[in-house]
This record gives sequence, C-alpha cells and structure tokens, in this order.
Amino acid sequence: MLHLAVDVGGTFTDICLFDDEEGTTRVGKVSSTKDPIDGVFEGIEDIGVPLGDIGLFSHGTTVATNALITRSFPRAAMVTTKGFRDVIEIRRGTKQDLWDAYEDVAPPYIRRKDRFEVAERVDYAGKELEKVDEEEVRRLAHLIRRRGIETVAVCLVNAHANPEHEERVRDVLEEALPEVAISTSSEVLPEIFEHERFSTTVANAVLAPLVGNYARTLAERMREGGYQGDVLLLHSGGGVMTADVAEGFGARLASSGLAAGAIAGGHIAKLAGYENAVSLDMGGTSADISLMVDGATRVTSDWYVEYGYPIRFPSVEVSTIGAGGGSIAWIDAAGSLRNGPQSAGSDPGPACYGRGGEEPTNTDANLLLGRLGERLIGGAMTLDRSAAGRAVSRIGEALDLYTTEAARAILEVANANLADAIRLALIRRGHDPRDFVLVAFGGAGPLHGAELARELSVPAVLVPPNPGITSALGCLLVDVRHDFSEMHLIPADETEPSEIESRFTELEGKARERLHAEGIRDEDVRLLRSLDMRYLGQWRSLEISVDGEVESLEDLTARFHEEHERQHAYRRDETPVEIYQLKVTAIGTIPKPELPREQTEEHEPEAKEHREVVFGDEDRVSAAVYKRNDLRPGAKIAGPAIIEQLDSTVVVPLGDRAEIDGFSNIIIRIGGDE
Amino acid sequence: MTERQTLDPVTFEVLKNSFVTVVDEMAEQILRTCHSFVIWARDFSNALCDAQGNTVMQGSQDIAVHVGTLHFTAKAVIEAFEDDINPGDVFAINDPYAGGTHFNDVRIIRPIFVEDEVIAFAQSNGHWADVGGNVPGSFDVGAKMHFGEGLRIPPVRIWDGGEYRRDVVNLITANTRAPDDVEGDLTAQAEATKVAEREILRLVEKYGKGTVVTAFAEVQDYVERLARNKVSELPDGTWETEDYIDQDPSAEEGLIPIKVKMTIDGDEISYDLSGSHPVIGSFLNAGIGTGFSGIVAGTKTFFPEVPLNSGFYRVIDANLPEHTVVNAPWPTAVTGFCSGAYEKIMSSLFELWSQAMPERALACCFNLEYLLIGGWDKRTEASPFFMWYDWMVGGWGGRNGKDGSNATSPVFGVGLAVQPLEGQERLSPVVTSTHQMVPDSGGPGRFRGGCGVQKGGTLTQIEDTVMSYCCDRARSITWGIEGGLPSCPHGVWLSEDGSKEEFLGAVFSDVSMESGAAFTRPSAGGGGYGDPLLRDPEAVKEDVADGYVTPEGAKRDYGVVVREVDAELAEWEVDEEATEEERRSIRESRIGWLDKDPEKLAQRYREGEIGTLELIRRHGVILNWGTGELLPKTTEGFRAMLKRRVVPHWSNGEG
Repeated sequence: MLHLAVDVGGTFTDICLFDDEEGTTRVGKVSSTKDPIDGVFEGIEDIGVPLGDIGLFSHGTTVATNALITRSFPRAAMVTTKGFRDVIEIRRGTKQDLWDAYEDVAPPYIRRKDRFEVAERVDYAGKELEKVDEEEVRRLAHLIRRRGIETVAVCLVNAHANPEHEERVRDVLEEALPEVAISTSSEVLPEIFEHERFSTTVANAVLAPLVGNYARTLAERMREGGYQGDVLLLHSGGGVMTADVAEGFGARLASSGLAAGAIAGGHIAKLAGYENAVSLDMGGTSADISLMVDGATRVTSDWYVEYGYPIRFPSVEVSTIGAGGGSIAWIDAAGSLRNGPQSAGSDPGPACYGRGGEEPTNTDANLLLGRLGERLIGGAMTLDRSAAGRAVSRIGEALDLYTTEAARAILEVANANLADAIRLALIRRGHDPRDFVLVAFGGAGPLHGAELARELSVPAVLVPPNPGITSALGCLLVDVRHDFSEMHLIPADETEPSEIESRFTELEGKARERLHAEGIRDEDVRLLRSLDMRYLGQWRSLEISVDGEVESLEDLTARFHEEHERQHAYRRDETPVEIYQLKVTAIGTIPKPELPREQTEEHEPEAKEHREVVFGDEDRVSAAVYKRNDLRPGAKIAGPAIIEQLDSTVVVPLGDRAEIDGFSNIIIRIGGDE
Repeated sequence: MTERQTLDPVTFEVLKNSFVTVVDEMAEQILRTCHSFVIWARDFSNALCDAQGNTVMQGSQDIAVHVGTLHFTAKAVIEAFEDDINPGDVFAINDPYAGGTHFNDVRIIRPIFVEDEVIAFAQSNGHWADVGGNVPGSFDVGAKMHFGEGLRIPPVRIWDGGEYRRDVVNLITANTRAPDDVEGDLTAQAEATKVAEREILRLVEKYGKGTVVTAFAEVQDYVERLARNKVSELPDGTWETEDYIDQDPSAEEGLIPIKVKMTIDGDEISYDLSGSHPVIGSFLNAGIGTGFSGIVAGTKTFFPEVPLNSGFYRVIDANLPEHTVVNAPWPTAVTGFCSGAYEKIMSSLFELWSQAMPERALACCFNLEYLLIGGWDKRTEASPFFMWYDWMVGGWGGRNGKDGSNATSPVFGVGLAVQPLEGQERLSPVVTSTHQMVPDSGGPGRFRGGCGVQKGGTLTQIEDTVMSYCCDRARSITWGIEGGLPSCPHGVWLSEDGSKEEFLGAVFSDVSMESGAAFTRPSAGGGGYGDPLLRDPEAVKEDVADGYVTPEGAKRDYGVVVREVDAELAEWEVDEEATEEERRSIRESRIGWLDKDPEKLAQRYREGEIGTLELIRRHGVILNWGTGELLPKTTEGFRAMLKRRVVPHWSNGEG
C-alpha cells in the first residue's frame, strides 16, 4: 500500500510517500500556496503518484493556526450566563510581557457586542439555581440571525457540573437557526474553570465553519482525483481524525503542524531503541523542542495559539524558541553579543544567500566555519562566502575578533540559547539529560545537534534519513485519536472503586461511539484510562495511568505518591489525595508504514573529498565529507566529518563517532563511546 | 562598575543566559510543587545573589512587587550569620523592616559553596497563604502595629549543615493557620534553591569558579551599563508630582500626600520623596524595602528591556525619609503597603516618566485590591472553615496614541492571575453574581483608560463569617494625565436581599456577614490620557457599540452625541452637529464646574439628581459614596490635584 502525507507549513509544503511493499520512501517539497489545498495537489503532482494508487492519505496543516492569528474566520457569537459575558476578555488578567506597558494581549476572538447573556444559573454541584430564560434565548436567536452570524459558542457557568442548561440553550438556538453551527462548552471540554473552558469552546466555535469547509473541500478534491480512502487530519493531540468529524474539533487542528515533528522525532527514536528523546526541529526562523519520555510523546493541556486564550485539548508539548538558521547575531546597547530571536527568514535570508541580506546569521557562521558547504540542495543553490564574511566581520569588529572567531562566537551563543531552552523543557518535568537521545532534524538541526548534545551531556544524537521532511513523515505514524475527560473532584478515600469504574465505563462508551462514527472496527479500538490526582490543597495535578479495571484506590494513591516524588522530589504520605478528573484516550489503530530495517554491515566508508572545518576551540582541521546517499547501514565514521544531503547537512565534530543504523538514521555518539 | 568586561563575549553571554535559565528553572520548580494557591497564581519570585547578597539575576516572570527587595534580605542573612554560614545551611526570613515586603512573603535562602567558600546565594520568595496574626490570610486591615499582623521571621536557620531544623520550622508553622501548606511551600522553595545550587555548580565545573564569580559581577555591570546608556540619552531635568492615599483613619478626613521629585542628571536617576506624609494609622504604609521596590518597579516600567539586578539599582538614588508612609519603621503595620504607599509611588513615577519619555506615557492604573471573607462553611455536615480570598483585575491608564488596556492584572504584578470563580464556588459558600467589565469605568481621555471590572456574590450557608477589604482610592480616584479625566471609586457595596445598599469603603476589617448577604465591588478603570473632547467621535461610537461606554457617558465625558441606528445590529452613528455643539458647551463651562459649591452638589447626589462619575469628573467632588456626606478637605485636595494635573492641558479655545 502507498501511504501519502502532505504537511503544509507557512513557507513549504512537504510531501512524504511511503511504499509498504518496496519499503521505500520518496519525499518532495513545494512552495506553499495562497489556498493551501492547491499546494497539497501541486505537491502530489510533483511527486508523481496518481491519487487512485494511494491507500491512505494523512495531512498536517497550519490553516487553523493561521486563521486564529490573523482573525480570518467568520463572525461568531457567544451565549453565556447573565453577568459573565466578559469572562473571555478578563481572562486571568495576566500579560505575557510583564514590563512593557505598550505590549497588549490580543483581543478575544469574539467582540463584546456579539457576546450575549441569558438569565440562568446552576451551582458548583450542578444544582439549578435559576431556570433558563428561553424567551431570552429565542430573542438572541433572532439577533444572531439578523447579524448574519454562522457559529455560536454556548458557554454557561458550572456547565461542567451539569450540561442540561447548555443543552437547552442549544436546542432552542438550533430550532431557530438550523444553518448555524453551535458548540457547547460541556461537550467541547467538560472541565471546571470558566475561562479555560469558555476559551477552548470559543476557539473551537470560531474555527468550526472554516475547518469544516476546508476538510470537506480537501476530501472532495481528493475523491475527484480518484482517491478512495479516508482523508486523515493530524491534530494537536498527536493523532489523526477523519475529515468527516473535523468540523466539530476545529481547535484541535490549531497545532497540527507542531505535533507532526514531535511525533516523528519520538517514533524514529523509539524504532532506533531509545525510550527517552528530545526532538529538536530547527528550521530557518525557530526551533521546536519536544520530549518523549518512556516511549510516550509528552502531552500537555496547557497550550494556546495566542497568549491569554487557552485551548485546553491535550496537545503535544512543544516549546518554540527564536533560534534558527536565519537567526541574526547582533550587538546590544551594552556591547554584548546576542543571537536572535529576530530572523532574516527566507527573504532576504542569510547574507550568504546573496538576496540582499546583510545581517550575520547562524547560516553565515556555519558557512564560514566550513560546516556548511558552498553548494546546497545538490548544487541547486550556491552560497556566497564573501557576503557571509562581510556580515560576520561586523560582529568581529565590534568585539575585536577575527571573522572566524566571530563566527564561532555566534554559534556558541546560538547553541547556548538552544541548550538553555532544552534544559528548561527537561527540568519542567524533572528529567536528567543523560537519559535522553537528541533527535536533530529540520534543515538546521543536524548542523547544531552534536555540539548541543555535548553542552547538555546528552550522550547521542540521532539524525533521521530525511531531516527536512521529518514532520511530513510524522503524519503517517499516528493512529486516530480522541480524548475524553470528566471532572470528578473527590478525595480518594471518599469514593469507591466501583464508582470510578462505572464512570470510566461511561466515558469509554462515548469513546467507542466516536471511533465507530469514523469507521474504526472494534478490534482496532484501544482505550487508555488515566486519572488526574493531586494532594488536597494543591493546584496542579498529576496524570496517573490506570491499567484495566479499577480494583483499589490505595494502589492508585500509592502510585500518585511515587510519581509525585519522581517529578517533584518530595512526597507527603500523610496528606489526603484528591481525584481531579477521569480521562480516556480513544485510539483507533490504522495501518501505518513499517519503516524497513536493513541489515547493518560494519564498514568504514571512504570519503571522496575533504574540507577545512572549525570545531569548538580547535583550529581548522581537515574533515571528511560524505554524501548521505552513498552511506549504507553499518557505516562508521569518525569525526571530524561532514555528511551532506539534499535537505540538510550533518556535522560530526572532532572526537565524536557516527554510524548508520538499520533505519538509515545517523547516530552520533558524543565523545565516541559506544 | 568596570569599564569593559574581562570575560570573552561568548562566555559572558552564555553565562548571563545561564543565570536567566537558573532563576527560570527555580520558577518551574515552584510552580510544580507549591501548595499555596497564592503562589500558584504567581505571587513569588526567585533570585540569584552574589556572595555579598547583591542580586545577579531575578526571574523574568517575577511579580513586580518583589523587585528591588531580594538583595536586602540576602544581605540581612549575611549580616545576621556572618562567618557562621556553612554548606548545607538554608535560611528563612520575612522581615519587612529588613527589606522584606510583608509577612506572607517568606524568603528561603541557600548559600552556594565551592569547597569552603560561599560564592552565591539562591533565594526563593513565596507568598504563603497564612502566617498567623489576628485574621485568616494574615491581612489584618485594622492593624496599626505589626504585632497582630502575623509572624515576623528575622533571619533564621532552617537547615543546619544539611540537617532539617524541625524545631525552628515547627515554631514557624505552629504560628500559622495552615501548617501543612506552609511546610509544603517551604519545602518547594527550598527545593527551588537546590535546583539553583545544582545548576551553578554545573557552571563552576565547566567554566571554573573564578569565571563564574567574575560573571556574577559583570552581569551586574552589564545591566548598569545598559541602563546608564539609556538614561544618558534622555534630556536632563527635574520633575515633581504627588499622589495620595485616601486618608489616615486615625485623623480627620483629607488626602495623604506622597511626594516624588525625580531628577535625571547625565546617566543617573535620583528620586527624592521628602515631604511625604508621616506614617499613618493603617497598614497601608510602606517599609523601606517596598518603598524602594515601588521606585525600581516604576522605573523599570519605562525600561522594559533592561534585565533586573543590582546593576540597575546602582543607577538609581532614592531618598526615602524615615517615619513617613514611604519608609515606616518597626513596629508600624505595613502589610497593606501594596494597596497603599507602594502603588502610589509607582503611579507617581508613571506620571514623571510620561514627561521624560512622552512616547511611553502611561496614566494612573487601578488600585490593587484584596477581598477576604472568612468563616464556617455550613453547606456540609463537616462545616469546614473557608476563606474566599479574592483579587480583581482592573483598567490600566491611557497611553500616548493608545487606549489603556481593559481588565488587566495590577501594576503590583502583571503575572498575578485572577482565580476562576468555578473553583471558588466549589471551595466556598459564595455564589458569584457577576464578573464583568463596567461601562464608563475607563477614565475619559483622547485615549481613554482601560475598563475596570465588577465582581460580587451572595453568601449562601455560612456561620461566624466576616469580611475584610484591602484597597484604596475610594477618594484619591485613579487619575488621568495630559488632560485626561479620572476613573471611578473603589470600594465594597453591601446589599442584603438586593434592597438597601451600604457602602463599606475601600479599607475595612471584620464586618459581620449573614447567610443571604450580597456584596459587590468595582475595580477602577485606568485614568485617561489627553483631553477627552479631542477623542475621535468614531472611537467613542465603537465603544458605545461594544458597551465599554454608555450613550450617556459618551455625551457627558466626551461631548459625543450618538444615535441608535439599529439596536439589533448594535449599530450607532455620531450626530456630528450635536457633538460639535455639546463639545463647545463643555469647553465653555468645564473650568467653572470645578468651583461649584460642593455642598450643593453633594445634596443633589443625595437626592439622586447627579451621579458619582459626574461629581468626580466634572466637579472634582468627593463624598462618602454611601451616605452622600461631603468630604470637604478631601474635595479641596482632589480639586487642587485636577487643577494641577489636568486642567492646564485642556484647550478651551476654538481648537
């Protein structure tokens, strides 16, 4: 079977085609288009495969993210409890920039005049305090129709405890407005805390028409082209969903692009035998960092596209910093050397691109140090060494350094910034870098990977076969996935295993229903249970996975104490433990490519050429230069060496050793140890 | 300050960023492990101090109010223990008279040793939910002296050479209402300092002790150089202003002035607060640490890109005269400084810097406020003790070319998040009635202040329950600059069964509550920037469409007459002719309005003919908002303030 993935990014659309029978991968890259769907088909045409031959098509897209950032979605309305229409504008009140009084948080996705109130109220336990004023809801329906609004978020206070009022409001609105999409907060995210629930529901509602339309159009065009399978869309939770259900989960698509890289990085590391991995996806303007721990990609519900507007669906945890190949080195007002976050981007790009850029970038520094060759993309692009020299010498002059030293200084600062970001990502969860492998991809990741690993005491770096399109590969590696949750706030010693068990069973019923609606057969369904728990009085909870039937709450609390100690370095056995919520992840297994593993034959390939490269504090040394296509599994290479390929360049510094594994990954062992 | 750094540029930049990462890692550790919801809402800070106690780096997301105080407490520990500081020791301190903030802010300080030499101190400061004293939460609004406010912790050793001093910790926790939480927070903070120790030792191993210690000094020099370069680009000059606390409850009514004179001379900034009012009989006084913190935080608002450490403090010279509200000595009560003198200093600095840096001008922002209801929750058999401890966002001041931001956390700490009411309703017998923005609360201006919000509720099943409130500016109303107008008064309103309304004011303690009692309070909006008669009528119309401004407010405050085109579509239009006429009429009259007989105006207020906003914005008249009783001395002071700060910027000619 042929598996096709198309990952649409801001600049490029990446294509990855995997052939099960042959065990081969073909990749491609085209420029993204104004209507991103056009780019999808240009990419498919570029790779030259008839749509009728494709068995399974997966798709990652930034369409939802961009729509939120640029506010290009249809006018939407909100209906909420009387007295609370400003919850989504008040937010939690905080600002991202603490000190700059001229930097504001972005305005809410729905304007105040389109936020309507209705008299109704239930209390914290779900008990009705005031009935829904249905007359008022009908009047609002009239206003919504007159304003030409296509989508409505119904967000009532305490709806997580009792959805009936929201359902009533929805029914009345639906009756009056059959053409309008209506989301309720109790269905979208049945979790306590009004702003987070409302905000998620609003993001979902404003995206619903757009995402629905996008998914339908894409699916239609695929069908017209002859494709007969499901159109699968990658979502932020690290799974896919079918185009048919996408309309209901617009906000889940909002980090589709980020998730793909993290999934691919983790998957490739796992195949290669690593259970703990840091993925570094470093492109032209930024670097995305994500973690896989004990074989599972880290997921968070603490996520947003724009600060202040949380989207609390479980999302692959990615931290982004402004450090890429095009990041600009500069001297600040106190005369100190800085690197990024400003970037020369792809236009004009680094000085060495010769497109008018004059600022020194990481790419320029890599070129001057010989780490990057003068001919890129197999010779399709030539870099201008003297332009790079001119740009970098500006830093040199300011710091009284030779140009080579300045280039080295630029990269050391860039690597230190990346290392700091990775260190923060690790400590956030209490992990030790020495237990991890660094998966370096994106165009620039493999250039920096080994030096970063050394700085972080990470023992090995893994560079996947096609670093530049690794994200697209990620789209092919996941199952259908949906996340369900239910609040159940109760001290663990005040409830019974049977109570928890019956609540799980109910959630699992919903989960099965959703998967069936997507055509997943029973035997392909997997349901994963977990509980969020915390010490009574604490405000952060920990997720504890639940294997099988809940028989004893003591076991779960014991695991909670252990996990708390592991993550937070202490435990308090005397303190009561509280259950916060129940979660079920529904997985619908779908066919995934099995990346072929070839026999490795240990050998030392011969380098066809050498060039002068500067590493660390050493002088220029002669490094062997290899073409990646020439390297076979089992090849062993001692640093210093450079491995060039179409979409990236891999640096193996002095003292490190690289080998090609059975999956054609390059594994660089820092310090050369086995 | 050294003229040039001795470290090579790469090592310097790498270490500087590493120090930032160290304090941010401390923050991550605290966020994961704290017990107090106040800390969880980001009321904490972390610092790396050098061997002398100077701050090398402070957390990038730290709360403003701790800024400029952490070096004081590090130095206090060094002074108290001198040579008797040993590996494995950890210290605690919360003493506001030694540079701390208030008793709830407990700092945990760990010396970092390389062999037998202290090279640094890691400090973690967190707001504990309770440190004893007369009232739950340790916010004794009625306190005049500190003894009843909470436990004062001078520098004490809580780990001795790695040995946990349970006796000392017990002495601390036994004096709080929540010993378990307090010990949990203490542990979380101590762990955070351990994270810092580990990371600094990693850097020492890689770069050598000498290099790291040099970097501690040079990072401070760097910040000093950065700040001095920026200051020297500004014109020299001296600017003066004053702001006011509402009153001294121990004296007759009348505003309490805080005077600030700022001088920029070359690359130095000096502040002289001479002439500020003597210590008052409430807990709104500031201690020396928080007086200085107000100055640092107010200055930093205009230098947002300069990192915070002792290098920044070296550029600032501050004269805080003792025995005044900006430098209250032991044993004066100071816990409410954050609502009192502290934020008046910050607001004053906003005005002064708005003149020195007009492109970053900022009018006065709403006052920090805390409402505390404590009692017995009778919803269940167990009837536990509950604390509804609540703070609100409010409006920020209008800016040069930009309206103020609506509903934003206080200047006290922009990272301080408000609490979800759904969480509160679960934990306390309070049903929130509303949490929304207040129309017309933004101070009118060419660029209006941001809107404040209103939050209130009904107490359901309670027993032995009292309410206390810590705020200010029910009288010294949040003001505008460059001709912009004030916002609206802070203060709590009580309404039993929705009928008779009673105004409790902006500072009160221990008011008894019964089941069924309802209450509400607004937060002020920001002050306006520029003459409101110059505001673009289209902007006023859009504000009316969204309900940020009422049609009546548009006419009263901006002289803009709007007409409803289609209410169902929220469409309005400006009546240009009527607007021109209204604006002309306001221009002619407004100076005279400020001299109208205040007693007659108060009478009209009592008779319901004239509203609060009209009294404040047009007439500068301040009342007891509940009874309608005129406050003559306060009104006199408020009118003088308007004439000094606002009126000179009005163009009352044809323009």
